[in-house]
Amino acid sequence: MRRSINKKNSRLLSLACALLLAACGGSGGSDPEPAATRSPPPAGPPPVTLAQAYKFLNQATFGATEAEALRLMALGNSSTAYARWIDEQLALPATTQLAYVQAGLPNPIPPGFVVDILNSQRQDIWFQNSVRGPDQLRQRLAWALSQIMVVSQGPLSGYPFGLADYYDMLARDAFGDYRRLIEDVTLHPMMGRYLSMLGNQKPNPALNIRPDENYARELMQLFAIGLVELNPDGSLRRDGLGNPIPTYDQPTIEGFAHIYTGWSWACAAGSPANCTFASTRATIANQILPMQAFAEQHDTGSKRMLTYAGAIRTSVPAGQTPAQDLRDALDNIAGHPNVSPFISKQLIQKLVTSNPSPEYVQRISQVFNNDGTGRRGNLGAVVRAILLDVEARRDPIVSTGAVDGKTKEPLLRLTQLWRAYGGSAQSGRFVTVNAQGTFGQGPLTAPSVFNFFSPFFAPTGEIADRGLVAPELQIATEYQNTLVTNFFFTQVFNRNSRSGVTNPDIVVIDIEPEVAVAGDSAQLVTRIAARLLGAHISPELRGQAVLSVNRVAASNPTQRVAEALWLIVSSPEFAVQP
Amino acid sequence: MSNALVMNRRARRRFLRNVAAGGLGFALARTPGVAWAQMGGGGDFPDYRALVCVFLFGGNDSWNMVVPRSLPEYNVYATSRQNLAVPQASLLPINLVVPDVAGWQYGLHPSMAGIAAMFNSGRAAFVSNVGPLLAPVSLTQYQNRSVPLPPQLFSHNDQQDQWHTLKGNTLSKVGWAGRVADALATRVTAQQMPLNVSLAGQTLFLAGNATVPYTMGPTGPTAFAGFGTTGANLARRQSFEAVLQTSHPTVYEGAFADVQQRALQFGDGIAAALATAPDFTALPNAPPAPLSSLATQLRTVAKLIATRDLLRMSRQVFFVSTGGFDTHDDQLNDQPNLLGNVSDALQRFDDAMQQLAMSHAVTVFTQSDFGRTLTSNGDGTDHAWGGVQLVTGGAVAGGRIYGQHPLIRIGARVNTDRADDVGGGRFIPTTSSDQFAATLARWFGVADADLATVAPSINNFAQRDLGFML
Repeated sequence: MRRSINKKNSRLLSLACALLLAACGGSGGSDPEPAATRSPPPAGPPPVTLAQAYKFLNQATFGATEAEALRLMALGNSSTAYARWIDEQLALPATTQLAYVQAGLPNPIPPGFVVDILNSQRQDIWFQNSVRGPDQLRQRLAWALSQIMVVSQGPLSGYPFGLADYYDMLARDAFGDYRRLIEDVTLHPMMGRYLSMLGNQKPNPALNIRPDENYARELMQLFAIGLVELNPDGSLRRDGLGNPIPTYDQPTIEGFAHIYTGWSWACAAGSPANCTFASTRATIANQILPMQAFAEQHDTGSKRMLTYAGAIRTSVPAGQTPAQDLRDALDNIAGHPNVSPFISKQLIQKLVTSNPSPEYVQRISQVFNNDGTGRRGNLGAVVRAILLDVEARRDPIVSTGAVDGKTKEPLLRLTQLWRAYGGSAQSGRFVTVNAQGTFGQGPLTAPSVFNFFSPFFAPTGEIADRGLVAPELQIATEYQNTLVTNFFFTQVFNRNSRSGVTNPDIVVIDIEPEVAVAGDSAQLVTRIAARLLGAHISPELRGQAVLSVNRVAASNPTQRVAEALWLIVSSPEFAVQP
Repeated sequence: MSNALVMNRRARRRFLRNVAAGGLGFALARTPGVAWAQMGGGGDFPDYRALVCVFLFGGNDSWNMVVPRSLPEYNVYATSRQNLAVPQASLLPINLVVPDVAGWQYGLHPSMAGIAAMFNSGRAAFVSNVGPLLAPVSLTQYQNRSVPLPPQLFSHNDQQDQWHTLKGNTLSKVGWAGRVADALATRVTAQQMPLNVSLAGQTLFLAGNATVPYTMGPTGPTAFAGFGTTGANLARRQSFEAVLQTSHPTVYEGAFADVQQRALQFGDGIAAALATAPDFTALPNAPPAPLSSLATQLRTVAKLIATRDLLRMSRQVFFVSTGGFDTHDDQLNDQPNLLGNVSDALQRFDDAMQQLAMSHAVTVFTQSDFGRTLTSNGDGTDHAWGGVQLVTGGAVAGGRIYGQHPLIRIGARVNTDRADDVGGGRFIPTTSSDQFAATLARWFGVADADLATVAPSINNFAQRDLGFML
């Protein structure tokens, strides 16, 4: 980051020199031309506006803030600022969760201690990193990836360290290679436990035992290629009769199921002395170590894999080790042409818009296939391309029925409010919110491997009628929306900087700048709109907000602020991301 | 989608406001005024009926729920299921009112005492080897893919969608209960809340072409904080509502605002009705031990049924759910709890319906992604196809197993074993989900002429009504 700022300063200096025509003494040489004969410089790209900065930051972080927007605007103009911001972010390492969760383990461990309670520690550090962490883009990607390659606390609550480490792995791999990512995912014991690859046995016909197919199925269906063949623009390929073409069949699943045999908890500190496939078990140490291969439970026959144009191999030969089989399987899956549109489109949907044009998907698929240096699956390049794409950067189209943008994830409305309004508790912790219960989502708390919502969800009405999708609306039910609205009510009215909160764990928002201008309702609403919406507010919402302020006596500035802030936070405008 | 069913946003808002103001309480469908005025024959239902769908998420291993207990059928089952077989001595005997064609006898999983008792008193039935089918399928046809099959067999979300929608290869955003509500819209004109209600989150099952379902929490709707009927609280609510009613530039804003409007529209009325509900002995408000999530949802359903007249309800479909059935691991440990919870919750609900003298009017049925494989991975089972579903209530022709319960044999063949195993112990269903749905829909009041709309493949099967309703 430091290097970039210096670069920025030196660019500004060069620009200043060129404009002022002073003898800046840079290169020496001939005198500058007289000012009168020099033609004016060509008009450059316009600067980034506040609203545009907010749009970008709501795509790339856990919520736009004024400070970050102003910093972004100063990085350059609309052709340069975004790329520079992204490059800063790509260079930042991951902030992690594991150490914080480990620190929550008492020493010595008292009898009857149930380690599951450390999941609240895990949620706490997730909020700290997401609301405060400097590596915003990487954290935002980790959050997106955790909703594609899902593991969930439900059956895994006894492994808080494993869960924290799984998320850290996603954060570390977020800008790396897709092939590396799915290998780390596959070998993580949390995924192994969640989708049954851990402890998967080789066949035993006498006992009617055959390898479990859960991971074989879900890795392909949800993490890699999906159920049907796709064109690079995300549209379905069709056979001669116009039907979609399945990407795999049952025998292929059985082939992969046989490949994923013989893996279990790694033998490490705390494991049994004679550590075998049958005897190994979960420990504090090995829940954060990759699974270990036990050859005696690995099926050593030849196994069928995916067949597709360009496949390097379509089966593994007999006699390979577990690791060799696994490597070949992941190469086979990662090499399938579907991966590019399947992953690219979902990342677009998570960051920018629920309904990208086919052309947008195709542009990103191409970057996935080749980042410009011949590398395939370069996630950092893919993210960069998604955010810099013309479709992500264009201004909101003002017409009824527009499909640009997306519904914000409910939890990201919360993180945005806390980021914009300095939400923090005296203790520095985030332990007084039940994210999954109130917002319908939380870190690694999805109800199933199908995430909090489906990428294909469309509510009855215009969206379904037009063949569009709005995944986040799946959890925007009458019930869930009311819980969220009520949470914001409590936050805004009862937990602000004037509320006199004494509980050190309650997160409080800072409304002092608003209180200072509360006497003038128009100015107050302008202030809130700038802070929350990048000054992009509809006349109707502005009008109602002003009315709601004017209903409260000037002698009660805190309530005047709360009425307007709550109305805007709970509005449909704040619930969507343009 | 017919244009006649699409109303522009402003007109629809006017319509909703008029309905609310006039207290008409029309089923809040998106049907335009013209179609409503054309309601012909029938009039509103004079009686009350309710369907309660209990969705078992993950794919219930129902071959361990209903088990042949006579010999040699039990031994065949035990050989197939090896260490996952339920011990014969522990099976709870159920007595068939109509004997099995081969004289086989059955028992239930030992944790299902409640269902066994209901079955033996005629208030529960099973439908066996039922699953998604577009038309009857033989093993050869399956292997050659020579007839249309439901897409993506063995995939959770796709098979859940098949149970919800019955739509085969057609992309569908509409469930069969949604189509039922659409078909009955002109016969429930006095209703003050949506016909279709979920207590378990958003579900495709209840979405109609016109009908929009309503979602509440497991204990009912939640009131908006800071809203009221007087003073500042009323003004605040009015500002909130005014913001919702402005035009919204994107489809996402518009759809979000619609949900908020429905929450405002129905929340208070439903909560007020629930507050007058009686306390049920079997589903107490303050139980000595906490009720399970499923029992809690069913308690709210019972309360809504108890207070149906306050909201002038004559037809209701409720969606509740419980999960954890995807037993790839630890099946021996988990299955007793999974099935025990279903049995306990459904028995409590049955008790509550009897307390209300409404047992004849309320039918509960299960659906689940799929049955599971007869083969195992050592400690669990995998995704399969046909399975057994449960139907309970006073209107059920109980004490029977409908359909054909197969011989639980790996490699089964239909001419000797009543069903075909496509491999690994996965049975091709011999009864379709369409037939299952059509039977329930008919009882609920859907006209014969509309059954093919509700269950699109029904005409491909000989029996439109499986006969499990009285």
